Amino acid sequence: MDEAGNTQPEAGTPSEVPAKPLRVLLIDDDAERARLVEEGLAGSAVVHQASRVHGRVLLDLIAEIQPDVIIMDCGSPDRDTIESLRSVVQHNPKPIVMFVEEEGSERMAEAIEAGVSAYVIDGLKPKRVRPVIDIAIKRFQVMDGLRSELRKTRDDLAARKVIERAKGLLMARQGLNEEEAFAAIRTMSQQRGKPLREIAENVIAILDLLNTPATGRRDDKD
Amino acid sequence: MTKTDLTIGFARLSDCATLAAADARGTFTKYGLNVSLKRFDSWAALRDALGHRIIDAAHMLAPMVVVSAAGLGPFPGAFTTSFTFNLNGNAITVSTALYDQMCAAAPDTMHRRPLSAAALKRLVLQRQETGAPPLVFAHVYPYSMHAYELRYWLGAAGIDPHRDVQLIVLPPGQMVDSLAAGLIDGYCVGEPWNNAAVVAGYARTLITSGEIWSNGPEKVLAVRKDWAESNPDTHLTLLKCLLESSAWIDRPENRVTAAQIVSGSAYVDAPFDEVVGSLTGRNRQTGGETRIDLPDFNVFHRYAANFPWRSHAKWILSQMIRWGEAPREIDINAISQAAFQPDLYRSAARALAIACPSIDEKTEGTHEHAWVLTDATHPIAFGPDRFMDGRIFDPADIDAYLDGFGVRTQKPRMSETDVVQVVRLSRPVSA
Repeated sequence: MDEAGNTQPEAGTPSEVPAKPLRVLLIDDDAERARLVEEGLAGSAVVHQASRVHGRVLLDLIAEIQPDVIIMDCGSPDRDTIESLRSVVQHNPKPIVMFVEEEGSERMAEAIEAGVSAYVIDGLKPKRVRPVIDIAIKRFQVMDGLRSELRKTRDDLAARKVIERAKGLLMARQGLNEEEAFAAIRTMSQQRGKPLREIAENVIAILDLLNTPATGRRDDKD
Repeated sequence: MTKTDLTIGFARLSDCATLAAADARGTFTKYGLNVSLKRFDSWAALRDALGHRIIDAAHMLAPMVVVSAAGLGPFPGAFTTSFTFNLNGNAITVSTALYDQMCAAAPDTMHRRPLSAAALKRLVLQRQETGAPPLVFAHVYPYSMHAYELRYWLGAAGIDPHRDVQLIVLPPGQMVDSLAAGLIDGYCVGEPWNNAAVVAGYARTLITSGEIWSNGPEKVLAVRKDWAESNPDTHLTLLKCLLESSAWIDRPENRVTAAQIVSGSAYVDAPFDEVVGSLTGRNRQTGGETRIDLPDFNVFHRYAANFPWRSHAKWILSQMIRWGEAPREIDINAISQAAFQPDLYRSAARALAIACPSIDEKTEGTHEHAWVLTDATHPIAFGPDRFMDGRIFDPADIDAYLDGFGVRTQKPRMSETDVVQVVRLSRPVSA
């Protein structure tokens, strides 16, 4: 069995396949479907079967294997266990490919757009397995990138608010104009090698501290 | 009424009794509805089926609707409810080995009811000192009353559920085997999964959910908001039908028949003997040793049980904030109004001449004994609404309520996706 971190020589595989074999965790009681997946991934992925493993053992297995993708049946009782990984911060979310083979499944295909990290297959053929998984991972990465980007935007917005407030305080209390106030923060940031936001937070803390006894205002609700 | 063909999803738990009885006794047909019930083995699958319009309505964990209304999870803003299926119904059960250790660690605390987790706290400290791995407790879904009840019980004894023990999610049907195999030390689950482990000799039930919070909500009838808006007549008819079914199964003399229906292969598909106790409330274990009758173990209709109290939604939100699953800044009033919509319930109750509360929320935790609600079309008898630690939940002052908890998660525990959704939600406000 391949261990994580195993340096794999560049095999004569098509260029789209990553050098390291894909680690796939397959959770499916349907033996026929499991066989199709194995067949479809033969040579390009290491497939770990977990059809008889549940609950805590399954969670331990995921922690050990660190799969690149999890493939499972949509109606599996193990779904809630797998999905709970999503709400636990310390776990890295994984792309999940889900089998749906019943009526209404075409609507489930929208799942990925709705933010579920899942992709859906109906009427599985071995040839389709690998492309579907590649697309699922790619889409997951796009979503993941989008998430980090949004998070950064949020942080930037929060930082801008703090800097604006520090600027305002410097203008009001130190008699600087807007440009001078910002320049002062920027200079401090450069000299001390700390981000603008951190400097702005310090400025606010210090000016608040200086201000309270001087004016005696206790109802400062800002 | 334009739409009469309905598919309703349900989980294999004895509190699907309202739906099962309506199906088996022809109540759906009586109201002109052609309902097919669809069973699910996973809450996520049930949720996705409702979100993707594969089913019209669902027997769903109350917090799943609240989470959606809060704009979190895969179907933000999609779900709502006007009907609560039942109150109480869960319990916390631990392995016999852990129970014995608790008795040895703090025997003086083990004979009081409701049984506190004080003995467990001592064991947690002992394990931390000796470097033993944390105890593992399971519940059924991240956003479930089970998760909130388990953490409430742990937190009341000073145990931080995210630092001092390990919490995992397991499907109900795997609880007993996992406990027997020593993979987990305890769990909070609905029936028949507590009783099954006790009868098999693997476990002791320490406390029922009705002792953690008397008459707290459990399952609700979840529908999509857009479905409710485009099918108001069908929705109303369904509520009337379910009110009638609830009233029937709630009567003590019907509980055994209800258990016979529910245990059938089309519904819970479990032996009658395993199911009957959870419906009659007879011979229940609690406190680790006693066996007593708990007629309110599952409440299906009395105490205006089917009324979707906004204060219930708000309590769930308070726990989401307490455990870092939602930011404090969320609009609790708006979310609880979107999640629990009592007006349609009122129309259904009025049509059946059933007394109905005229207020949307109440203070929870002030009644240790039975009481009478007079803010209603007719006075309604209510059961206690006490919390195990005697705290009072005033829906108008959630900040003070949260500040009063000794154990609380300070760091957000939201998933990346939920963080993004919160950013999206808050964008128009900050602009």
